[in-house]
Amino acid sequence: MKIVVAVKQVAALDDDFEIRADGLDVDEDFLMYDLNEWDDYSLEEAMKIKEAAAEGAVEVIAVSVGPERVDESLRKCLAKGADRAIRVWDDAMEGLDAVTIGRILAGVVKKEAPAMVFAGVQSSDQANAATGMAIAASLDWPHAAVVAELDYQPGAATARIKRELEGGMLQAVEIDCPAVLTLQLGINKPRYASLRGIKQAAAKPIEHWSLGDLGMDATQVGATAALSRVRRMEIPVKGRAQMIEGTIAEQAAKLIEIIKEYKGEAA
Amino acid sequence: MSPQRFLSKSESLVPMTAQALVAHVLESGDFYAAVAVHGIADARQRQRLEERLFGSRRDVLMLARWEHTPANVLDALSRLEHMPLAGRVVKHRNTEGSTLKHQFSQSDDPALTGLLALHANTPAPLLLQIAMGDHDQVVLKGLARNPSAQPEVLRLLAQRFPRRFDKEIASHAAVPADLLSTLYHRGDKFVRAAVLAHKQVPEALLLQAAKSTETLILRSLVKHPLLPAATVDALSQHKDNAIRAALATRVGLPLALSARLALDDSDSVRRAVACRADLSPALMQMLAEDRDPWVRQWLGRNPVVGKHVLQKLALDIHEDVRRAVARNPNCPITLLEKLASDHRSWVRAAVAYQPNVTSCLMASLARDSAVDVLSGVAANPHTAPALLKRLVFSDELDVRRGVILNPAAGPDVLLPLLQDPYYLHRVMLASSPKLSDQDKWQLRDDPDARVRFALFQWLAARALRPVADRYFYRRKA
Repeated sequence: MKIVVAVKQVAALDDDFEIRADGLDVDEDFLMYDLNEWDDYSLEEAMKIKEAAAEGAVEVIAVSVGPERVDESLRKCLAKGADRAIRVWDDAMEGLDAVTIGRILAGVVKKEAPAMVFAGVQSSDQANAATGMAIAASLDWPHAAVVAELDYQPGAATARIKRELEGGMLQAVEIDCPAVLTLQLGINKPRYASLRGIKQAAAKPIEHWSLGDLGMDATQVGATAALSRVRRMEIPVKGRAQMIEGTIAEQAAKLIEIIKEYKGEAA
Repeated sequence: MSPQRFLSKSESLVPMTAQALVAHVLESGDFYAAVAVHGIADARQRQRLEERLFGSRRDVLMLARWEHTPANVLDALSRLEHMPLAGRVVKHRNTEGSTLKHQFSQSDDPALTGLLALHANTPAPLLLQIAMGDHDQVVLKGLARNPSAQPEVLRLLAQRFPRRFDKEIASHAAVPADLLSTLYHRGDKFVRAAVLAHKQVPEALLLQAAKSTETLILRSLVKHPLLPAATVDALSQHKDNAIRAALATRVGLPLALSARLALDDSDSVRRAVACRADLSPALMQMLAEDRDPWVRQWLGRNPVVGKHVLQKLALDIHEDVRRAVARNPNCPITLLEKLASDHRSWVRAAVAYQPNVTSCLMASLARDSAVDVLSGVAANPHTAPALLKRLVFSDELDVRRGVILNPAAGPDVLLPLLQDPYYLHRVMLASSPKLSDQDKWQLRDDPDARVRFALFQWLAARALRPVADRYFYRRKA
């Protein structure tokens, strides 16, 4: 049986950066890329299931949508023990949103026919928390979000999970398989890749799939097919915050002065 | 981690001279190694390194932000044209004064002045220039908080903007005593409290403050070692718990007063008493019965506490109290042996970290299954090398790190950890004086850039040492 783990290479920013000339994103030179933190946990959960099963009984496949730089993140997944890595990209995918990404990943899932699909609850850069659910919607599969505990035996018809709710509550759920689960941070303790794993991963191939490999065309993905489009990226104007210092009487006098100024009264 | 993962040492020899080391880096094209050896390269090599380092805008931006970028590379970055780097270079903690001065002379960006005012390496004349000419309140407040600001800067700020930055100035370590007096006399209670908390506070101000009824002032005052005895006695009756608790920490408190404070209603006051170095046996016995477990815990950690009281505390219902006893530097070995079989691993772990334990006890604790206990065993210098060699292959990274931190772990124990999956462990070993340069040389191709940087940084520092020393380090193992 197979477990597909959807992973994403996320971007992090320092506090000084520039917006691209078209105003739609941050200038790529200012971005630092890494594997999404949530995906580390998803991969680890898949690895735990694989390692608990008989050798060769479970195949873990890391899948990502993105340009060539994403190979670096997929290589990390291979180093941690994933059996295969697939990167899907086509220039026609430029401008995709969470729903179209879900549609593309669902295409991979249809071809691989896994028993489970794992994704992180959200990505640290976009925080849509939508990809996992979009995969499930495209496949019309059962899904559960924010999974904090998982009890699943390879080949079982159902899985028992606990979902994290507000106020520290856990909701115990039984879900039919195959299913799409989005996993929460802390569900396990992700491993560090061994040096041997890293060296072996360097020699493993990363499969590069195009739209044609998925039987899809440009009308189903990319900017025209996306249900949402970025109009512009901007840095909000900072509010005028001011610490009022001094004695209590001085602070009160300053407050009165500010209120009068806002009301248009003479100070 | 399996023992089979340990790979043999690399066959090639570590370069012996700075020139050979840089030549190796140039040949390898390793970006992070190039950053590390930039400072030891000759002019021609440095030019080639900079071609590699500053080849793309993305790399340049990353270097100006990377926390490990050394001062010499930051200086070279600051001289690049048409790059949005000034903010990053000035903000970087490794940037040296000369580079900061250069940036200041090249830029008229007011935001840079704010960053320079905060930087610990900004040269004194530049800080003084900012103090003299700048009017931005945020910049000047940052300047008043800069630990490198000299007394002249603080004096100037206090003079130019009376009361505006008095609290920041009063909290600054470099503020002169006469300025503290000025600030005290013109300040509100917050400024006066900051003045009284200062180590340089004039004695006259202490006497003056002793007459105050303001709680905030008295809290600062009570911590001062030069407080008159009469004031100490008066403050012991004060209604504010924090004042009495601070009083209970004072050195040289009369024993009768300690005894009175040991009966205080406030837990925080009794906790402070439990830490005192002059506790009488009767007080120890009394505090060992205290209703507050934190009082008993602090008593358990107190090195002056006698064997009988420790024995009593070692049976406490609260595990943190028993752990405190196990951490006590004077805990008798017989008691440690008992605590080593405590049903809580948190207590056994404290025994495992104890510097007084015997090798025999360590051998027993090494059979434990709890990570906290094994981490203590791994870090304890009394653990036998044979045990450490086993712990090196633990699946728990905390245990393996314990071995790396163990001062008694020799090169034969540490060698397999050069293959540790956790990059930070390899970084630590790259900078460890216990391993020879030749042993570390296998890290030159490490997949993690931070490890390679640490290795080449270490080798670059070594390359500046005498040849005989380097030869010793290469051949030692």
